[in-house]
Amino acid sequence: MRLLLVEDEPTLRAQLRDGLMQAGYAVDEADNGRDAHFLGDTEAFDAVVLDLGLPVLDGLTVLKRWREGGRTMPVLILTARDNWHDKVAGIDAGADDYLTKPFHMEELLARVRALIRRASGLASAVLQCGALALDTRSGRVTLDGRPVSLTSHEYKLLDYLMHRPGAVVSRTELTGHIYAQDFERDSNTIEVFVGRLRRKLPPGLIETVRGLGYRLVPPP
Amino acid sequence: MKLWHRAASLRFRLLAATLVALALALLLAGVLLSGLFRDHVMRQFETALTQQLDQLTARLELDAAGQPLIDPRALSDPRWQKPYSGLYWQLDRVSGDGLSRVGVLRSRSLWDTQLSLLADELADGALHVHQGRGPLDAPLLMLERKVKIAEQSAARWRIVVASDMQEVTGAVDSFNGVLAASLAVLLVLLALAALAQVALGLSPLRAMQRALADVHEGRTQRLQGRFPTEVQPLIDDFNAVLDRNTEVVVRARTQAGNLAHALKTPLSVLDQAAAGTLAVHDSELARLVKEQVGLSRRHIDWHLARARVAATQRLPGQRTAVGPVIAGLVRLMERVHAARGVAIIVQAPDAPLFFAGEEQDLQEMLGNLLDNACKWARSAVMIAAEPVMGSAPPQMQIHIEDDGPGIDAVHLASVGARGVRLDESVPGTGLGLAIVQDLVGLYGGDLSLQPAAGGGLRASLRLPAALAADAGTVGQSVRA
Repeated sequence: MRLLLVEDEPTLRAQLRDGLMQAGYAVDEADNGRDAHFLGDTEAFDAVVLDLGLPVLDGLTVLKRWREGGRTMPVLILTARDNWHDKVAGIDAGADDYLTKPFHMEELLARVRALIRRASGLASAVLQCGALALDTRSGRVTLDGRPVSLTSHEYKLLDYLMHRPGAVVSRTELTGHIYAQDFERDSNTIEVFVGRLRRKLPPGLIETVRGLGYRLVPPP
Repeated sequence: MKLWHRAASLRFRLLAATLVALALALLLAGVLLSGLFRDHVMRQFETALTQQLDQLTARLELDAAGQPLIDPRALSDPRWQKPYSGLYWQLDRVSGDGLSRVGVLRSRSLWDTQLSLLADELADGALHVHQGRGPLDAPLLMLERKVKIAEQSAARWRIVVASDMQEVTGAVDSFNGVLAASLAVLLVLLALAALAQVALGLSPLRAMQRALADVHEGRTQRLQGRFPTEVQPLIDDFNAVLDRNTEVVVRARTQAGNLAHALKTPLSVLDQAAAGTLAVHDSELARLVKEQVGLSRRHIDWHLARARVAATQRLPGQRTAVGPVIAGLVRLMERVHAARGVAIIVQAPDAPLFFAGEEQDLQEMLGNLLDNACKWARSAVMIAAEPVMGSAPPQMQIHIEDDGPGIDAVHLASVGARGVRLDESVPGTGLGLAIVQDLVGLYGGDLSLQPAAGGGLRASLRLPAALAADAGTVGQSVRA
């Protein structure tokens, strides 16, 4: 899952980036409203963590412009202003949730997970595909109750596919959502990861759709 | 008290002063005019009588025996002949030692009476005027003159003419009557004019009173309308004070927000740094930092909330439509608590309801209560707003009810105390209800918490309401 993190305070931004990356997200960063708007407008993100007090262009305006431009990714507002007036203004500008500073990293991660899940139309924090279960809260994957050991990239790949069961996901899309922007992208590595995942999971679970991409096939 | 109240009114003072002055002026004019008329009539009357006296004096002659003689036929006025006609003459003899023989000759009109006069010393030819009583006790004006006929005689004669004054006093009385009536009518007309003048002159003050009432009742936020040049500076100053008040409140809120922003971001950094350290290894310092950051956060939240409440003055003229505020908060709650699948049911009154206060304060009160209800509800939260019928000043009630576990009676009392949290498993600072209670108190309202019928908690807010607005005078607080 790829996130956009917008925060102008460099230390807090670094802490947030580290926390999010540890939780398995690919993170792109912006420290001002203009850059944030550009990134959100041109790249595909699974969620955005948006600070409201930003230089150049404030967070609410960035959010409004995204929504006016038809960008629908879930947005979590991070704000020091905790009065209800600002919260309502944030939601009315198109935010999906808010978190007031100071906050606990665990709560931020929980909110982000919930936002991504809701955007995929999934209700539970534990994603199921037959005997395969992925707990988005703990990052644990189990098969028939037995833990499956995955590398970070394998987990990200499976996580993205399990958020879209039955849908065809192209290699480009996978690349876009698994790596941050400044990461050197090579779609061949996706094939390598898919190959490794297939060896750890029941056969036939990840199907190759020729010329289009991959699909997670739920067992009948 | 009532009289004092009336006496303190400008209208009463102006009217009373004007009426007293008018009455005095008209009374003075009446007295003066009446006196002038009376003098004039009397002078004319006297002149006519003097002419009669002159005529008589001219007709007085002595017969061969040296006795005075006035031929009645030589006198033209027929009243001399008619008894008690009101016009009389009489001739008295004045001897050298001052004794006189009264009524030597008399007009026929005197019939069997005489004119009695005080004896006074008269120079020859001098004219004296007397008032006295004559036949039938009629008031008479009497003129007397002493004459000496022929040098040889030692005898002197006093000729008296008298005329009934009733004619004159009658004329004066009737003139006075007409004068009094005219002046009374004039007084009434002038009083009406004064009344109109006062009403016209004071009408800007009444307009100002209405404008103030509009501000007070929340129909407008400034004094509206153009006023006369004497009053307009006052209106402008008052509006400037109102504007400044609003500006101060807005600035205080903004500053509170800025302070929150300035403090909370570094606190976040500290908190994350401590959490990051603790994730790697146990550290006394990191634990201390984390604990103190938590404490600071609660301090900041509490004092910022207090600062916001303190900055909230009951500014006049504020009104906030309740419907849009509830709708906005419900949109927020539906998003934020989407994962819990809580349904929010809004029961709004048919007619739009207005809160007599600031939009942000209403949002703060309802936001905290709704958020609380949504955190605890099992499946549904109900929010209902209604006017309190027959309340003066107008009030409204807002109920927020959830179907959660509720609070038992033992703990209900401690809810709302600063920082008291009955359940630490749900995120929050424990400040929400305390802030709500502060704000409710500020608006002179009332917050009560009771067990709901379905087992949850029912929070009831009673707040001042503003009267329904005329179209186009809705205050700034109302959001589209």
